[in-house]
Parts: sequence; C-alpha cells; structure tokens
Amino acid sequence: MRPIGLNLLRSRKMGTQEMIVFLIFVALFAGFSVFLPGFLNANNIALLLQAVSVLGILSVAMGVIVIGGAIDLSIVALMAMSVAWTLQLINGGMPVPAALAIGLASVALVGLINGFLVAYVEIPPLFSTLATAGCIYGFGRFVLISQDTVYLPTNLGVIEELGKGRVFGVPMPVIVFAVIAAVVGLLLKYTKFGRFTYAAGDNRAAARITGVPVRPLIVAQFVLSAFIAFIAGLVQATAINSMNTRITDSLLVYEIILVVVLGGIGLSGGKGGIRNVVVGTLLIGTFLNGMTIMDIQFTTQNAIKGLILLTAIVIDQIVNPRDEQTSQQGDI
Amino acid sequence: MTPLLEFREVTKEYHGVPAVQDVSLSITEGEVHALLGENGAGKSTLTKMAAGVVPITRGKILLAGEELSFSSPADALRKGIAMVFQETSLVPSLTVAQNLYLGDEKAFNRLRPLYIAAQQFLQSLNFPVDPTANVASLGAAQRQMVEIARAVRKNARIIIFDEPTATLTPEEKQHFFELIERLKERGCSVIFISHALEEALAISDRITILRDGKLVITDETGKFDRDSIISAMVGRDLSGELYGGEDGKRRVRPYGKRVLSVQNVSMGRMVRNTSFAAYAGQVTGIFGLIGSGRTETAKIVSGVIKRNFFHGGVTRLGSKSVRYRTPAPSVRDGIAYVTEDRKVEGIFETMSVAESIEIGKLASPSDKSVILRGSEARDLAEHWTKSLNIRAISSDVPVIELSGGNQQKVVIAKALVQDPQLIIFDEPTRGVDVGAIAEIHAVINRLADQGLAVVMISSYLPEILNMSDRILVARKGRIVEEFSGDEATEENIMYAAVH
Repeated sequence: MRPIGLNLLRSRKMGTQEMIVFLIFVALFAGFSVFLPGFLNANNIALLLQAVSVLGILSVAMGVIVIGGAIDLSIVALMAMSVAWTLQLINGGMPVPAALAIGLASVALVGLINGFLVAYVEIPPLFSTLATAGCIYGFGRFVLISQDTVYLPTNLGVIEELGKGRVFGVPMPVIVFAVIAAVVGLLLKYTKFGRFTYAAGDNRAAARITGVPVRPLIVAQFVLSAFIAFIAGLVQATAINSMNTRITDSLLVYEIILVVVLGGIGLSGGKGGIRNVVVGTLLIGTFLNGMTIMDIQFTTQNAIKGLILLTAIVIDQIVNPRDEQTSQQGDI
Repeated sequence: MTPLLEFREVTKEYHGVPAVQDVSLSITEGEVHALLGENGAGKSTLTKMAAGVVPITRGKILLAGEELSFSSPADALRKGIAMVFQETSLVPSLTVAQNLYLGDEKAFNRLRPLYIAAQQFLQSLNFPVDPTANVASLGAAQRQMVEIARAVRKNARIIIFDEPTATLTPEEKQHFFELIERLKERGCSVIFISHALEEALAISDRITILRDGKLVITDETGKFDRDSIISAMVGRDLSGELYGGEDGKRRVRPYGKRVLSVQNVSMGRMVRNTSFAAYAGQVTGIFGLIGSGRTETAKIVSGVIKRNFFHGGVTRLGSKSVRYRTPAPSVRDGIAYVTEDRKVEGIFETMSVAESIEIGKLASPSDKSVILRGSEARDLAEHWTKSLNIRAISSDVPVIELSGGNQQKVVIAKALVQDPQLIIFDEPTRGVDVGAIAEIHAVINRLADQGLAVVMISSYLPEILNMSDRILVARKGRIVEEFSGDEATEENIMYAAVH
C-alpha cells in the first residue's frame, strides 16, 4: 500500500503537485520579500526575471524531451557553442542573417544527431546526450571558437532587443519565455505531434504498435528542443553582452532538470505539461536568486542545489514509478 | 488436525477492485489440491499471496496454525512455501547446479563439489537432468524439474504450481504427474493451478473452483466430473454460450477474398519457414503452445518485428508484397495488431479512455488533421464505449483504473478506430473477466460478419474451437496443420500441436 498522501499526489493531471509547487513559490517569494533586503527592488526583480527566463526557455525545451520519455544533457553545451559560434562569425565580418542561418543549421544538425542516436541507434539518451555534450564543447572550442568568452558584436540591430528590450516595461526575455511556453504548450496540447509525444513517452511499445511513427517523432523532439536552446542562447548573450562557453561546465543543466522534475513532469515520461515548467521555473528562479542575495558561497549553493535535485528525483521515483508492476491491475 | 495452510477470508484488491474476495480455504498435509477457474478468476492472485509475491489486502493466511506475514517470496520460501511460475525464474546463463544453489553459495564457491552435490540430489529425486548443463539449453519440462528440485532442496512443505503443464508434451506431462506423486510421498502439499480439467481430475485429491475472485466450491475430486466443474467455473447461464462448441452445431463462414498470405516466412529461431493465409469475412484461429512462434508470426505480419533479411520469405497483403520494418506503414495499409500483453504494449497509463482511442485515430491512415478538436475525441469515445460496451464512469477515466476486460476493450477500440482490413487478436481474452469474454467474442464475430479478415491467436482450445472458421495449428515456429471450424476437435488440434 502506498501512503495516502502520495496517492493524492498521483491524482489526475498532476494538479496537486503543481499546486504545491506554486504555493511553495508564493511562500518563498513572500518570505524573501519580507526578510531579504534588496530582494524586492526593481533592479533585482529585473535580474531575476532575466535569469529565470533563460532557465525557463531551456526548461521548455527539456520539458518536451522528458515528456517524450528521453532526457537531453547536451542542451546547455548546444546553446553555448552554437550562439558563441554565431557571434564569432558576425564578429569576423559575416552578415548577421547568414551567421544566424548557420547557427540554426548547426543546432538542427546536432538535434538530428541526438535524435538519431536515441531513436535509431537506441542508445539510452542519458549516455548519448552526455557524449554529444562533450563532443559539442570539445569540437567547438577546438575548431570553431578561439576564446572562452565571445563578446556581443555591435551590429546586431533588432536581435539585441531579445535580451535588452522592454515592451510596456516588461523585459523582453520574459516575453520570449512566455511566447515560447505558449507556443510549445499549444503544440503539445492541440496537435498530433503533441498527442504522439505524450503517447510515446507514456508507453513507447504501445504507441509503436498503434502506428505512431515513434522514431521520426523522437528526432523531431530533439530538433525542436535544439532550436529552442538556440533562442535561449541568443537571449542570454544579448542580455549580458557575451556568451561564456564555460557555462557548459556549470550546473545549469541540472537546474533545468530540477525545474522540469520539481514542476511535476515525471522523468518516466508522458506526464505533465508546460504549466509545470512555468511553475517549476518560478520556484527555482526565486530560490536561486534568493541564495545569491543571501551571499551563500558558490560551492555551498551547488551542494544545496544538488541536494534538492536528489530529493526531487527520489520523490519523482516514488510518485511516478517507472515500474508500474505493483500499482497496476495485477494479472488476477 | 490443523491444516498445513489455511486462508481465512482473504481479500486482495487492486485499486479498490477485488481480485480475490473473502476466500477461506485450507490445505492439509500431503494433499494435491487443484485450483480451477476461468482466466481472471483469482487463482494466481490467491496463490501469489500465499507465496509472498503480492501483499494481502484483508484477511489472514495461516501456516500450521501460525499467522504468516511476509513481504517477499524469499521470506515465504524460508518458511516452506515455494511457487513455481509459468515463466520460470531460473537464470538461463547459469548451470543447473548453480541455479539449484543460487543464494546459498559459500564465500569461496568451488564448482566441482557443487556439481557432485547437485548430481546426488537430483538422483535422489530421480530427475534425469545434467547438473552441469546450462539452463538455457534445457527444455520446458527439465527446467520445471530444476525449479521443483530447488523448491524441494529448500525444504518447501508446500509447492505451488501455476499452469505447470501448459508447455509440456504428453510424455513430459506423464513425468510431471509421477513427480507430483513423489512429492506427495515425501509429505509435501501441492497446490496447482490449471486450465486442463482432465489433469486436475486425474491427479488431485481435492478441487477448489474460483469464479470472479470468489470461492465457488471445494470438494473431494471424486465428487466432480468435467461437466460439473465447467458449470461451476463459468456459472450456469454462461456455460452454453462459452463452451457450446462441442456439439458441432456452429456454422462456418464462407471464404472471402484472400487478404493475407504468408509464404515461407522466417525470423531467427522462433519462426521457421511458416506459410498460411487469412481470408476476408472469416475468423482464422491460430492455436499453438508457448514457443510455437504464433505471436512472433503475427508481429512480423504487422511490422512489430522484422523477418530475416535473407531467406525471410514473402508476405502478401492482397496482391501486394510487403515487408514492414515498423508498425506504422502496416497500420497505414490497414493491418491492426491487438497485443497479448496489454500492460506492456497496449495501454497508456496516463491517458483516459478518450485519449487512448484518439491516439489510435490520429495514427490511422485516414486522419489528416494537424490541429485537434477536443469534441472529436469525446465523440469517438462515446461511439466506441457504446459500441464495445466499455464500462467506465466516464470517458475521462484513466484506462489504468478499468477492469482487465474493459482495458482490453479500449485496446480493441484503439485498433478498430483505424478501420483495418486485417485485424490480428493475440490472446484476446487473456486476463479478462468472464462477462467481458463473451462480449469480446461477440465483437470478433461481428467484425468477421462485417467482412474483415480476422486472425485470432489463442492457447485456449474452447475459444479456438468455438470462434474459428478455420483453425491453424502452430508448432515450433511453423503452421503445421489446418482444420475447418466444423471438423476440428480438441483431440486432433492438440495432437497436431504437440507431436
């Protein structure tokens, strides 16, 4: 028998977990506002929103992959290297549209390779994307990009607004996050692609037998998430005027997984939605920002993040068990 | 005298649905007790509770008057209750002796003494098994002997067999019966679950019949005969409908156009050079024992697995030669495969009835939509729940919360919504409650009457006999015999399947 509380959490559509996470966010935000001087001022909120937006955009990409039953550890490497290369090409004199086209083509290629490895070669995504992450960073630093940090060129024009602009006072990164979340949310909910993604993530064998083209579907998911990662990279670079390829070595990818899992998209696939990503992003963004303001040491922060991720994954394993043997209608 | 094992008002519920309800039963020392009942009657669940495989919801199980509470099969084994499963729980890559002593190895584990001990032990049981042979190389009967030997070695006082004879040849069965006699002489109690009524009548001391999770009757074997068992198993009103095929009154549908023809198809070691055909407007039944390659053949036809690249044979759909590598193109060509294992390959755990059926619709060739409308899924669900009589509170209920029979109907709806020309049912009534069996059979008949080519794989003889217009018998990876529905008898089908 499962504890009753967990059964509650397992209720339909993950509504309860979403609610709990949202309430924790509200409590945390209120707590920080009251007790942390410097949290609730315009500057910090703007910083928080910008940081949260990039995290959120990447989490939307990761969300699609996780709902489809896989995981992508190469997403941060892909974001950093593709955008850094694009910026370097522009710095080297290439016209902006051409450089962007090359950047997009390169992420599409990486998405295809990731998808191919997972869907056709059938390597567990945990390993294949870990390996491709290493390849992307190594190849990029060795062949394409000469320095760790690539600075923003001056002739970007409108693109620069992605990170710096404001519409009616709302920072542009937030709007980009909102738009991407909305588009992907609709895609998941109201299109064949979305329904198939849930079906294949839930039960790949059943989806396959029903006639869902599972392999092309997985490739499409990886390509989509690669495009979203590229956009996230542009937002990040234009907001802080550079792209530091060292971000690949940071814990960002774990923060993304944390957002996805904590928000309520089970790692077992087929569960949750974009709303979960948004809620998770708000909570983790606020939490990370609060820790920075409290001036907690970087290493301590990492330890705390790691601990929370571990806890979240353990809870996820209990709430969304991969092996449903025990909780299913048994063979009677 | 206190019984060796006693169930006291034992109940097991899955998601609030009782699989076993208030069953009280006692097993005395040294008796052979047969548990009979339809698929889904609760036989396996009942014995699994005694063997510690599944926990009890309510009630008590007593072993020699002492209440049992254990959480694992290993725990049960230590107390002297062993269960021998249909799918054996041996490690195929280890030798017989290693399997026998699995879990009891010394820290420094030399093989030679192990083999000598195993040899002596197997001889004492009179089992002709080579202790140095790899388990993977053994036949079904010998594997079973190893399992039994293992149970005996652990001093099991009660050994539970789940469908022990399903995979055995007649000769092997004879060995098995002798073995049970020998266990009895040693003072072991034996509980065995079976579908084969004759066996139960021949070797058991007492028989218990379960229906829908409830105990119907327990009595001395001598007081039963075949007919009384059947009527107790299915309930009087259903017996005629389900098992009425014996008097040969059923009509056989005429051949339609040839929809599927399979010629010399091979796949690995499971399917060897098999050939058969299926016709529109007929139910083609395929019977075979486990390991006869029926499921694999069906999966090749529907593209779930690939046939051999070289000398793989030819599959024709109508007049078109096809070779599918994935199921998607076969679905597009109008082939639907309803799996035998709906948990693994059939249902979507997180989805509702409506969403599941919608997935089938979206994957079908006729569906051109890109953007979905919610009302469409609801209409579909409404139509199919009515047409297949799916009993769910609403179509928004998760499929996982339905009973086995209703889950199966959802899986069937998911296939039918694709409007196939050929539909393959693989064990359509496995794990399905009695009432739903008749309904699913009615659906299959209706489909054939509507002109679909229906292939039905089943290892249950009455089902095959009662449903099929043509009966194909598979053995060792190929179709070896064909009968017309009105000339086949249990005896000649079984004869073809085992010899």
